[in-house]
Amino acid sequence: METRYPEIMAPAGSWASLRAALQGGADSIYFGIEQLNMRARASNNFTLEDLPEIASLTKEQGVKTYLTLNTVLYDHDLPLMRRIVDGAKEAGITAIIAADQSAISYAYKQDVEVHISTQANISNIEMVEFYSHFADVMVLARELSLGQVQNIVEGIEERQIIGPSGELVEIEVFAHGALCMAVSGKCYLSLHAYNSSANRGACKQNCRHSYRVTSDDGNELEIDNEYIMSPKDLCTIDFLDQLLGAGIQVLKLEGRGRSPEYVKTVTRCYREAARAVVNDEYTPEKVDRWIQDLRDVYNRGFWNGYYLGQRLGEWSKVHGSAAEKEKTFIGKVLHYYPKAEVAHVRIKTKELSLDDDILIIGKKTGVAEPNIKSIWVDDQPVEKTVQGQECTLKIDAEVREGDKVYLWEDRDQ
Amino acid sequence: MKITFFRSKCIGCNYCVEAWPERWQMSKRDGKCVLIGGKKKGQVYRADVGEYERKYNQRAAEACPVDIIRID
Ligand code: SF4
Repeated sequence: METRYPEIMAPAGSWASLRAALQGGADSIYFGIEQLNMRARASNNFTLEDLPEIASLTKEQGVKTYLTLNTVLYDHDLPLMRRIVDGAKEAGITAIIAADQSAISYAYKQDVEVHISTQANISNIEMVEFYSHFADVMVLARELSLGQVQNIVEGIEERQIIGPSGELVEIEVFAHGALCMAVSGKCYLSLHAYNSSANRGACKQNCRHSYRVTSDDGNELEIDNEYIMSPKDLCTIDFLDQLLGAGIQVLKLEGRGRSPEYVKTVTRCYREAARAVVNDEYTPEKVDRWIQDLRDVYNRGFWNGYYLGQRLGEWSKVHGSAAEKEKTFIGKVLHYYPKAEVAHVRIKTKELSLDDDILIIGKKTGVAEPNIKSIWVDDQPVEKTVQGQECTLKIDAEVREGDKVYLWEDRDQ
Repeated sequence: MKITFFRSKCIGCNYCVEAWPERWQMSKRDGKCVLIGGKKKGQVYRADVGEYERKYNQRAAEACPVDIIRID
């Protein structure tokens, strides 16, 4: 029998992240367009016009595409929602991810594959049965324990719950990334504090701030950990065998607001880990290495989420990232000579030395991660190049004019 | 008084309409808001309106979660 690997589904918040997801080995990507998605605030959302290019780029590589259309919808949104579904169909996008019944029903009628978003909070087998009239893939609520997830997967088998395609319904879960302190899609903090509805894709993430408790008479309580509503990031790589053992077919990686190198690293780690589990090569040593790689990129510290039965979140101790590496902008690519594999770069800030690790990030390039083996300035080899200088570097990945160059180094803790 | 409206960033939440429906309206075409009487100048829309409207438009500007309404 052909080995079937779980699908690794990566976030694409920009062109560079989309390429990075492909480079990391994603089986599918998800992204939002216009304002009707949970990252409506992000400035670099794709638009309807981008759909054909996204579809053709991913099809070349056999990668599936999912368009998120999962906000709460108002009457005035319906025409746009319909145009997005129609556009997705025309461009050949694989499926839309929806939570609002109007979008689910319209897509279904148009014969566009629908996946049910986590915002619909599917948390029991009856809900799965209900949505199976419309959808073949469903994301469960993020608050379920592994046991509950497994019961649902077994329930699908037992009851033979099939989706519109005629196949058994598949279950997708979040495997990595930020978790929310609220039941998915039901948080009103941002709306109360800033009039900015999380459920319209405009979450201001006030749970991520630190808080003080003050009594009526003005006494302030000291709280040990100030970030009392800010959970650490979900990481399942150290129990991925259990997660896959529960019958999960799709692993979703969170992070449409994250940087391209984050997307590439997280996608690669989970792809390797999922394959290792299936091929019986999943070892503690490998897990340690993946966790170290995941720690290098943006994170707020890791915890197991709700899968292993903890009732409440483990709270983050940091406001921003606890990443162990950081990238610092140092310059831009002026030109790339593919035959010679040489990039002509202008160093605008700081300096670059031999043996430095760098990242080169761009819309078409995604993320290249070379180590600097030689630097040439004015046709002379040098040990380092300083601010303001132009230099040439041997880079075996194809990069492009205008790409940004960053130093990629350990962070001073 | 002048209103400046950076329409492309609108998330269509309807709050400005609730604050002052005589000046703000949701478009069924693209789900974003329309500044009634606004003229397009480059990326933004501008309207010159009577002073009596100031407080209502001010409310709309304050309600807007993405801060794309400016009142001068
Ligand atoms: S309040 Fe702002 S974001 Fe909301 S509809 Fe009006 S202009 Fe758009």
